[in-house]
Amino acid sequence: MKFDGTDFYAALIHELKNNLGVLSMTLERIPLLGEAEHDASVDSARLLCQNVVDRLHQALLIYKAANQLIHPVLDAYSPHDLVQEIAASAKALAHGRLHVETAIAGDTPVLWFFDRDLVEMALVNAIHNALAHARSTIRIEAEMEADCLALRVRDDSPGYPEHILESVADGRSYAATGTGLGLQFARLIAQSHDNRGRLGELRLGNDPGAVFSLLLP
Amino acid sequence: MSQPTAPDSDTFIDYGALRALVVDDSPGMRNALRLTLSNFGITKIQMVANAAEAIFQIKNRSYDFILCDFNLGVGRDGQQLLEELRHGNLIALETVFMMVTAESYYEKVVATAELAPDDYMIKPFSAELLCSRLTGILLRKRAFRDVYWHFQAHDLEASIAACDALIHNKPKYAVDALRFKGELLVALGRFEEAEALYQQVVSMRAIPWARLGLARSLHLQKKNEEAEEELRDVLERAPEMVAAYDLLSDVCLEKKDVAAAQEALEKGVAISAKTVRRQQKLGEVAYGNGDLDTARTAFDNVLEKGRHSIFVTPADFGNLCRVQLEQGDLEAVADTLKKNKSTLQANPEGQLVMAVTQSIAHTRTGNLSEAAKALDAVASLRADGTRGDAQLMLDLAGACMANGRNEEADAVVAEVARNAHDSEALLAKAKRLYDEAGRTDAGANVLASATGDVRKLNNEGVVLAQRGDYKTAVEKLLTACNEAPYNPRILMNAVWVILKYIDQGGMDEAMIETARTQLREAERQAPGHPRLAGLRLQMKDVETRFGIQRKAAR
Repeated sequence: MKFDGTDFYAALIHELKNNLGVLSMTLERIPLLGEAEHDASVDSARLLCQNVVDRLHQALLIYKAANQLIHPVLDAYSPHDLVQEIAASAKALAHGRLHVETAIAGDTPVLWFFDRDLVEMALVNAIHNALAHARSTIRIEAEMEADCLALRVRDDSPGYPEHILESVADGRSYAATGTGLGLQFARLIAQSHDNRGRLGELRLGNDPGAVFSLLLP
Repeated sequence: MSQPTAPDSDTFIDYGALRALVVDDSPGMRNALRLTLSNFGITKIQMVANAAEAIFQIKNRSYDFILCDFNLGVGRDGQQLLEELRHGNLIALETVFMMVTAESYYEKVVATAELAPDDYMIKPFSAELLCSRLTGILLRKRAFRDVYWHFQAHDLEASIAACDALIHNKPKYAVDALRFKGELLVALGRFEEAEALYQQVVSMRAIPWARLGLARSLHLQKKNEEAEEELRDVLERAPEMVAAYDLLSDVCLEKKDVAAAQEALEKGVAISAKTVRRQQKLGEVAYGNGDLDTARTAFDNVLEKGRHSIFVTPADFGNLCRVQLEQGDLEAVADTLKKNKSTLQANPEGQLVMAVTQSIAHTRTGNLSEAAKALDAVASLRADGTRGDAQLMLDLAGACMANGRNEEADAVVAEVARNAHDSEALLAKAKRLYDEAGRTDAGANVLASATGDVRKLNNEGVVLAQRGDYKTAVEKLLTACNEAPYNPRILMNAVWVILKYIDQGGMDEAMIETARTQLREAERQAPGHPRLAGLRLQMKDVETRFGIQRKAAR
């Protein structure tokens, strides 16, 4: 029988994802004991595990997108639900270590058109960054900005370093700048959303903490 | 029977009361999923390892939530389970079916498919994410309660009205309601309205399902040029959208562009080879195009990938064997029959496929005594009322002639012709059989008398009905139905005339029962025929007016 490398890797990745899933759920079940040292280790193990999970997702998607553009599958979703969903994930990851807030502006539409999974992946990535750097609070926001739905993750960290702000603003490629893989990916996701020629955008800023904004046309 | 009332601001979900079924082949994952569900209060959880166990459980009691892994190891996969559940009406519209998958790619393939789950989770995922997704779907289904209730009571008009109410009063569910309404309009044969609805959604945003719906409603109005243009543009933007290739192939077939139809199906199969019905269609189209290699691969795949699918029938074995026979690969034929022996012997239709195929194979090798034995087996199966698809029956006719059993052959051809008096392709194939056997004149007679009788009765019936003499029209068409009990055109005309007759002359219980039986048979013979929806609606209308209200189960 011929040995098929592609099938082998597909099966291997499937297996790894299963194991990772079980590991992640096992970690979720370790109780916090109110002992600083124990709780901190459990917390960071969970965060790390979730990070690996998300990175694996991204890597697979980028691998698939390598030879073609990302084609978002648009449908109508509620930005309100999305913000609550992201906040719930953030709270679970923060384990009370950080305060998670939401703010949905009055002009936020009931429905908006986007690829929920891609947008969620970009936002969760921003949450991971915020969890690593925020001092006490993470805020997830939705509002309208220039006819786009703006989804933001805001924290009270010292903000993004200058070189990251520049590289995202310039729109240069990942290899040229060494910008975080996650941010690069978020930019691809934003730009893949096209409404009659108007493309989505990733905007990073400091106000004074880091502000990650996904603008969806 | 009381109207359902929907509490409006009620966003509370009692997870403790929810009955859940977890389907996963890995004990570790099953356990982890159970703990995940119990995290947010779901405690009534049944866990099973495969599709067969899932179906057993679902037949025994109803579940509110089914969480199913796509990859279930040996046997049916999650998508095949879902298809079987929906196809067999084993789960209500209210039941939430969520697919768990390790591949974000699954979404791309399934998102616009006919049989999509309510949602899918890409693993690994957190309990919080699952909980918020599930809550969202449960609340949506709660908002759709009236829509579903009327739909399940076969009252599509009322279901549309309930959709309209959602569109106007619940902006959050407006797009979902438009989507459901579009499908109802198509089911009712109101294609122009469906086109306008999809156009309205597309003008909001060109989302894939709306563009596909638009193309489908154009195709159903025979506006195939416009439909093709729409589909080609959709596929340029989203080349992985398999459902668009399926529809494109239908459009091309209707335009008689068979090469383009095959090309579209081949592209669809290249993206998603698992869908049995796409492989079946590719096989049929490629066979029609004389591309035997492609047809053989496709029919092989039907049996290989569809080993556990409910969409595989004895005809699929016959299709593969036919191609193998035409390629002269008798060894492969023997192998196909041997490998699938137990499946084929399990029912008379399978036995018929086997016997017909054997009779042809033995004829080829010159083993005429074995061929005769096989044909005797066929004759006794037919005497018991076993029928095969038209292609198989014509193969049989060919084998009969090759063995000098001309009378049997003529009877088989006449039966096929009566039941497909308006199918040019089948009649042409039958004519070729006679030409090859040097019986051109005999064939012309058989075909002319078989189709002539049916055509005459049918035409007379239709003319009488148009003149308003429904009583005589019914008599003519019921005679035609006796002659051609599986001819969808005749069956549908008979239903139409009976409904007119009752409409004019008042209820006739025996007649309406006949019409019901014939409509069911027409649905079996020509599933998805554009006239069926309209007839079903007229039937419903007549039943309602004469006070036969089907009892709707809540």
